[in-house]
Amino acid sequence: MWEWWQKNRPLMLCAVLLLMALLWYSVNLRQQDETNFLEGVVLRLTGPVQAGLSQVISGAADIWSHYLYLIDTEKENRALVENNRKLSAMLAENDEVRLENERLRRLLEFKEAQEIATLPARVIAEDATSWFRTVTIDKGAEQGVVEGMPVVVAEGVVGRVVRSSPRFARVLLVTDASSAVASLLQGNRARGICRGKGERLVFDFVLRQEEVKAGDRVVTSGMGGVFPKGLVVGEVTSVDRQKFGLFQAVEVIPAVDFSHLEEVLVLLRRPQ
Amino acid sequence: MNRTLFYLALAGIAVVLQTALLPPFLQGDYKPDLVLLLVVYLGLQEDRWRGGLLVYLMGWLFDGVGGAFPGLYGFVLLTIFLVVRGIVSRVNTESSALLLLLVMAGTVLQAALVSFALDFFRQDVSVLSQIAWQLPIQLLLNFVAGYFFLKLTVWLQRTFLPRSKLPGLRKLDSRYET
Repeated sequence: MWEWWQKNRPLMLCAVLLLMALLWYSVNLRQQDETNFLEGVVLRLTGPVQAGLSQVISGAADIWSHYLYLIDTEKENRALVENNRKLSAMLAENDEVRLENERLRRLLEFKEAQEIATLPARVIAEDATSWFRTVTIDKGAEQGVVEGMPVVVAEGVVGRVVRSSPRFARVLLVTDASSAVASLLQGNRARGICRGKGERLVFDFVLRQEEVKAGDRVVTSGMGGVFPKGLVVGEVTSVDRQKFGLFQAVEVIPAVDFSHLEEVLVLLRRPQ
Repeated sequence: MNRTLFYLALAGIAVVLQTALLPPFLQGDYKPDLVLLLVVYLGLQEDRWRGGLLVYLMGWLFDGVGGAFPGLYGFVLLTIFLVVRGIVSRVNTESSALLLLLVMAGTVLQAALVSFALDFFRQDVSVLSQIAWQLPIQLLLNFVAGYFFLKLTVWLQRTFLPRSKLPGLRKLDSRYET
């Protein structure tokens, strides 16, 4: 026995190490809705760097898209291009301000229409992996943002806060596989649950006998206790009603364009 | 201690690159997994216990900025590290191409472990089909990132620190390959 242990000790210790890691992960699944100490520290450390980089990048991307492609133009046009650049710069700046203005105006109109207190926030970073869908926002517990709060834009539901540190928070997007939103079809009020599936959503548990067609609008039902009733989730793109089974397979395209998410509103209401 | 801090700083830089710097320049939700690259590299260079602890810490750092499952990446990255550590005595670690091969294998293993950890422990979350769909592009991205990491690291050492010995870099430099 002792000989066997001596021979296999590294292997056994590795197995124990892995089991402990797996056990720790499993235990943490129970407290998944709270931000633990380490996660808070990571958010506090990475948040300011991400916020700074986000500012620099948006400026650099602007320069890249509006100036750099002009550099290689013909020599004889240089003077003209120089003028063009200045004008383009002004235009780009104006465009950016105008677009931001439009976005903020829409958010403001939406904000005023909401009965719940809201807090505008800026998206500063994305998820570190390609498998999950979360974003980091520049508002946290100091501004009243806590785990479970819904996050929206004028177009519809964005997700909910899953981690919060004093100045930053992480939002789980509705397109993440672990996200589930209690929803209903706006037309016939058929209920179901919208689950994330990468870039799309799946509207689960819709009974077979319910009439669902492409183009139907899906809204939050308010049943889950996180999102208020009536927020737009997306639009039905395909319906697969099989011969057997209780439910039909409904695919939904989110109302929000997550690839261009810049400003969001946090609804300051605690989950019920 | 210095080396540990150096690796942790590298992991921090990798995380910031993945979350804030690279996404605006990449289409969709794809991003190269630079932390995985570092874990494979550590698997080739560091001993089991010190490296294991370091990688587990990196996993926790990663969990703080990716996904919503604390401890998931601690488990996933530690497994990848131990697997690399387990085969390191059977392969030629002097070959720089090995790093690329292991990064590819690590990507597949990571995808399988994330699927297992979620599908097995959280029955309501299924990521298998989504990950399978995304895997080819992720493999390509990680391969390209690994290739540039290799070139850039060796170039940086040659240019700025030609006489100093940074941990493990000698093994990556093709000048020393046989």
